[in-house]
Amino acid sequence: MTRPIRKIMVYVDGSEQSVAAAQYAIVLAKALGAELFALYVVDTRALAELVKSRIFLESEQDEYKRDLEGDASRYLNHVRELARRKGLSVVTEKSSGAVHIEIKAKVAELGIDLLVLGEISQIRSRRDELYNETERAMRTAPCPVLVAKGEDKIWDLYEDLE
Amino acid sequence: MALIDLIEETVVRAPLKGTDKNSVIRELVDALAAAGKILDAETAYLAVLDREAKGSTGLEEGIAVPHGKTISARQLTIAIGVSSDGVEFGSMDGKPAKLLFLILAPPDKAGPHIEALAEIARMSRSKAFCASLAACRSPAEVVSLFKDE
Repeated sequence: MTRPIRKIMVYVDGSEQSVAAAQYAIVLAKALGAELFALYVVDTRALAELVKSRIFLESEQDEYKRDLEGDASRYLNHVRELARRKGLSVVTEKSSGAVHIEIKAKVAELGIDLLVLGEISQIRSRRDELYNETERAMRTAPCPVLVAKGEDKIWDLYEDLE
Repeated sequence: MALIDLIEETVVRAPLKGTDKNSVIRELVDALAAAGKILDAETAYLAVLDREAKGSTGLEEGIAVPHGKTISARQLTIAIGVSSDGVEFGSMDGKPAKLLFLILAPPDKAGPHIEALAEIARMSRSKAFCASLAACRSPAEVVSLFKDE
């Protein structure tokens, strides 16, 4: 029987939950001997939406896009460092667009077997369900999805990893 | 992080006491400082004024979304203000702002900042919800409305 999980991808958005997800993905990749990918999506759709609603000025859109690009590099580097500490390499990917659509596309493009996401905020309304990007990624990803919950336990697992 | 996770009574001013744009912004910034959400009110206040100087964040239908990046905020934070009479905010439709969402974020947290602003942008399209919020007369009513939504 071939290994069911050969490629794992974690989605990182800079939140503490997504960093915990990255740690869990590292633990899993190490345990399963899987290849690890980390993805950050620069949410240009939200930026465009903010200009359309006139909350952002055009110049502000450019400024925040640069900020997001900086965040992408910073957080992907952080995941790379977390993996390196445990003797694992990670392939980092950055894309831009609508978050859940980019995640879905990257899963297909890379042939990902398991998508790891950070804990999802409590959904309090139908609108949350429609707009929460992590929630949408979970529902639309064309592969098994694991939601990493329990930051303390994940931290212990990561720390205990040889 | 969902917007509702950031909203608590200590960061809501309903009704606002201020009667002009700068004073209501200051009132909300001070609310965040009093709630321990930001380190320095003056720095945060100036960051919001700096952004407003580039163009008003007064939208339509009495909604304003003043915001800024500041090292004074350790993480994304929001304050909500309700003004019974409305405050002149240089809004697109010329209407006074009755509902204010003030958002502050550290410079290295652009993602959550944008996510929160986008959530407000979507919420502002719900005229019924915004009208209900603008009619709130206490912080408890505002928080309750968000939780019931």
